[in-house]
Parts: sequence; structure tokens; C-alpha cells
Amino acid sequence: MRFNEKELIFLSRQPSDRSAELGMRGPKRGDVVKRRLVKLIVNFLFYFRTDEEEPIGALLLEQCRVEREDELVFSIVFLDEAERKYLFECDSRTQCVEWIDAIMKSSYEFMRKNLIFYRTEIHRLTGKDPLEQYGISDETRFQVNTGLPPLHPPLP
Amino acid sequence: MKLNERSVAHYATCNSPPDKTGILFKKGERNTAYHRRWFILKGNMLFYFEEKESREPIGVIVLEGCTVELCESESEEFAFAIKFDCTKAKMYKMAAESQAAMESWVKALSRASFDYMRLVVKELERQLEEVQEEARSLQIKNKQKKHQPQVQAATPGFRGASVTGFSQLRNPLEEELPSLGSSSRENGVSWNKPQSVVNGISEGWAWEGEGDCSGKGDGFRRPPIPPRRKTVGGLLGSPVSPGTDCFSKLHDWYGKEVAELRIEWLQGQ
Repeated sequence: MRFNEKELIFLSRQPSDRSAELGMRGPKRGDVVKRRLVKLIVNFLFYFRTDEEEPIGALLLEQCRVEREDELVFSIVFLDEAERKYLFECDSRTQCVEWIDAIMKSSYEFMRKNLIFYRTEIHRLTGKDPLEQYGISDETRFQVNTGLPPLHPPLP
Repeated sequence: MKLNERSVAHYATCNSPPDKTGILFKKGERNTAYHRRWFILKGNMLFYFEEKESREPIGVIVLEGCTVELCESESEEFAFAIKFDCTKAKMYKMAAESQAAMESWVKALSRASFDYMRLVVKELERQLEEVQEEARSLQIKNKQKKHQPQVQAATPGFRGASVTGFSQLRNPLEEELPSLGSSSRENGVSWNKPQSVVNGISEGWAWEGEGDCSGKGDGFRRPPIPPRRKTVGGLLGSPVSPGTDCFSKLHDWYGKEVAELRIEWLQGQ
């Protein structure tokens, strides 16, 4: 699948929401833990060799689950291939908790849910749709229930 | 650079609702002809398929940091371009099937960034806090005046919680259909200062800490704490976080409070 790599690399150089050197292990059998600079930027997790400017790779953080594996370790799995775990080793319990929290909040879908909650709540309390004054109340992405059917039947 | 492509492709076709779908003509990268493709916009990702029935996307355009502009094309009507700010960046030239389709796509794409969504969420979060504060202080006033015969003047209640000048959220297309150049904060220049977009909002925030899970019934309006920058994405324990149950407590408490308030106000009429 093609993607705009240059622009993604450019994105990886922007100020991050959170970044740290962590031990990272890929999902394949035989992958070992390696020290990586991990950067969270919008809904992407970029990982770099600690002395390099260009990232080795990126993970889009949609449709994924973050879990605490043990005191210092958390994992990311993607819902379409839940057996494959990316593991991250932190230096402290606090760091581990903070990263899990940050990653959970870094999906577009998570933010959309919050937006819908706030919108509904404000409307319930004031009788007004808070998005109306910005002229964006009709945008699909802000709808409480878009009601669109799934695009493709589930694969067998 | 590696990308978790399989999972990204899965995101395109899984049953989370897309933000927009439709046919667009995309100018080829080597071959300069425009190719008809089926597009799916989800979040800040624009996927394109050979056709609507295809199971796997041919490709995806990550939209974070892009600007969307109308453009002139010799061969195509209703043309627009997705541009990026980085050096040697690609420009994706697209054409829609009608004027209406073009405007709709330009609108949807220019607000597709994660940063923009984050802005809107923070703004609504702030508004909700404001509404809640007003309701709390209204309840105090009501309690104090309960034994006085005077009719309460038309209270603003918690209607019209005003929002101070949040022009960034406005539809830029209402003015004209320009390039969302450097004066726009929506998608265009997030790159130059992504932090400052968020910080620009947090400077107006006064409230530290979330909700009033503990503050129930003490009835005092908390003095505003000087504004402080919140770390992007680092709102630990905020009502937004699914990890805490403050969220549902807040929700329930507030609902009860509003019910009481309504009754009192009606009795005072």
C-alpha cells in the first residue's frame, strides 16, 4: 500500500506530545529488545535508532489496544492481528503508566468519542449545540451517530 | 520507513464510520493522467481504492499538516490540491465530479487533522466546564434568595455560555475558498507551531483539576487559578480519561444538580 513517506518523516520531526528512550521489541518471533527513541505525535508512534534523525518506522495508533504487561512494560496490539504484540520497556512505573495513558488518548477515534460526549452534554444542559456557532455542526465527523453501514462485509 | 500497513489498511475498511467517501480523480504520479478512484476519509487518513468494491486500498495520504487549495487545471474542472509544507513535498492534485462535491471534499479535508479535532475537543471541554460553573453559582444564588420575595431577574442561567473569539474553528470557506495559508491554524500551519495551537487555548483556561467529584455541595466558586500550560495529551485523570470513574460520577452528579436547579427555578417563577 502506498503512503506519503516524505510527509510522514517530516511529521516525525515535529515537536512530540511525548518522547523517550524505551526498550522496544517487535512482534515477530525472534525479535529482541532494542533501545529506541520513541516519539508520540498525533496518532502516530514513531521509533528511531537513538542516534538517527530518520525514523525506522511508524505505528498508526488506530484500532489498537494498549495494555500493561508488567510493572515497567506495556504492549500495543492491533485489533486485526491481536497475536502480534509490540512491547515497550520503561524505566519506571510512572513512565509506564503515563505512556499507556498518552497512547490511549492518541487515537482520532478516542477524541471523536469525547467530542460527541461534550457536544451532547452541553446540548443537554443548555439546549444549544455548541458547534453551531462555528458552522461545523453538520460535519460527519462530529455526528453522534453517523448510522453508516459497514463498508464491506466482514471477510470470512 | 516501515509502517504497520496491514493494520492501517484494516482501519480503512473496518466498520468505524468514515468521515467521507466518494469518487475523485487523482492525478497520477508518473503518468499525468487523472485516474478515477474511490476515496475514503477516516480521521486524518485519506485512503484510495481502485473502485468502491475493492477490499484493499491502493494507497493512503496522511493528511496531518496539509493544506487544501483550489487549483486551476487545464484538463479538469473542479480541481483542488492537497499540499504539504515540507521541502520537496508532493502535491496531490485531485478533481471532483461537481462543484458541490469539490467544495464538500475541500471542506472535509481541510478539517481532517488530528490537531484540529484536538482543538475542538479542548474547546468543548472548556465550554462544558464554564456551563457547569455557571450552574453551580446559579444554584448558590438561588439558595440564598430562596426566602426573599423578589423575583429573580431573567437569569442568563447557563444558556449562552459565551465563547470568546474562537475564530480558528470557523469555516474558512465562508469567506472565500482560499488557500488555507499561513494565517489559518486549522490544518495548514500546525507544523510550524503545533504546540502553540493547543497552548493558545490553554492560556485561557483557569481550571486546574477536573470536575467536582469532591466539591459537591460546598457551594463555593473556586477562585481561578492562573492559567497554565497543560501538556498535550497529558491530562492525567481528567474527566476525559476512561481510566478514572470521576467521569461518570461527574455526569451523574451534574444531572442531579440540574434537576434540582430546574425545580427551584420553576418554583421561583
